[in-house]
Amino acid sequence: MINVLLVRYIKIIGVSFLLIFSFNTHAKRPEYHIEIKNHLFYPAEIIIPANKKVKLVIFNHDNKAEEFDSFSLNREKVIFPHRSATIFIGPLSEGEYDFFGEFHPHSARGKVVVIKQVNLKKIVTGE
Amino acid sequence: MLINTVLLFLHNALPIFIITALLLLKFPLELTNKVKMKWLLALILTTLFTFILSANLENISQTFVGKGVELLYSLGLLFVYCASITLFMRNATLDNTMTKWLSAFVIFFIISCLNGAQFITYLTSYWAQTQQIESLLIGIILGGGICLSIAILFYFLLRYADQKIYPAISNHFLLFFIIGQLMHAIILLQQVDILPSSQPLWDSSQFIAENSEFGQLLTVLFGYESTPSFLQLIIYMIAFIIPVMFRNSKVIFLSLRGEQP
Repeated sequence: MINVLLVRYIKIIGVSFLLIFSFNTHAKRPEYHIEIKNHLFYPAEIIIPANKKVKLVIFNHDNKAEEFDSFSLNREKVIFPHRSATIFIGPLSEGEYDFFGEFHPHSARGKVVVIKQVNLKKIVTGE
Repeated sequence: MLINTVLLFLHNALPIFIITALLLLKFPLELTNKVKMKWLLALILTTLFTFILSANLENISQTFVGKGVELLYSLGLLFVYCASITLFMRNATLDNTMTKWLSAFVIFFIISCLNGAQFITYLTSYWAQTQQIESLLIGIILGGGICLSIAILFYFLLRYADQKIYPAISNHFLLFFIIGQLMHAIILLQQVDILPSSQPLWDSSQFIAENSEFGQLLTVLFGYESTPSFLQLIIYMIAFIIPVMFRNSKVIFLSLRGEQP
């Protein structure tokens, strides 16, 4: 009878995992590019829409590895020399989120500025 | 550079020290020659694989559309969690079955390889770019000393607590530590868009900042997260409840039938 209970638990766990994965629909995410040159981020500031998950593609042009690190975004990823890396951030509420290069924390610094979708459109169209 | 190196140790090397202390608590102190050989072999194998993984981390990072490292780490930590459930259910120190040994080896091997490989990558990168070799060396000695002290402190504290307060305290501590590692896997899967992310439920960074030394320690020990998402909270709770229910399934079943356990 205990085995029956265990099988039931395992079924519940399995279904829960399937539900979790099925919720994450892979829609096309807005894409933003950042480059690392001479231990600096270009651009050092990116503006993204609020409450939306976005894709960050980071390319490291330097000859040494760098780590994209952010406590407020809860992200960390090593980008090897002359390689690119992709991470997803958000959905985020309006505000500023700092990030830095862990191997060059004094020079490699930047921030993600999150603003409302309407305001972002105004910036893009120049209104 | 000094603080960075100490934080690097807390972040990547401390889990190896802590898991070693926790696993040592699970086995009797009197070791026979055969057991000593087993530990030595496990140590050599783990060190070898750590260096191999570290050397290949760059190539792995380019696989699965740039998700290789995250997938490897998440899968590894999921194995660790499964092995820890087995160990959690086999609490008795005198129980020296093959399953217990194998579970302990899987936990030690995976945690050491994954954290060790990252630690080597970071350390070599710091080493390559620093002009302050002296600060780096002091940082290594300080960081190593802090990790060793914390591990020894936890070993004796938990051994005392097991003997004097409640026999399964170290067992539950192990479970929380492994769930903390599992939380790291969840963040990695959210980072590469395999698991969904949501707005954080709360922000406790004003009280304990994750980037502080104490925050790092809590992150390593229990998977502390100042801005957790709903999914992280749910998985944390489920990951704790499942092994506890497994362990007490007999008692729960008898209670459901209205019988005395």
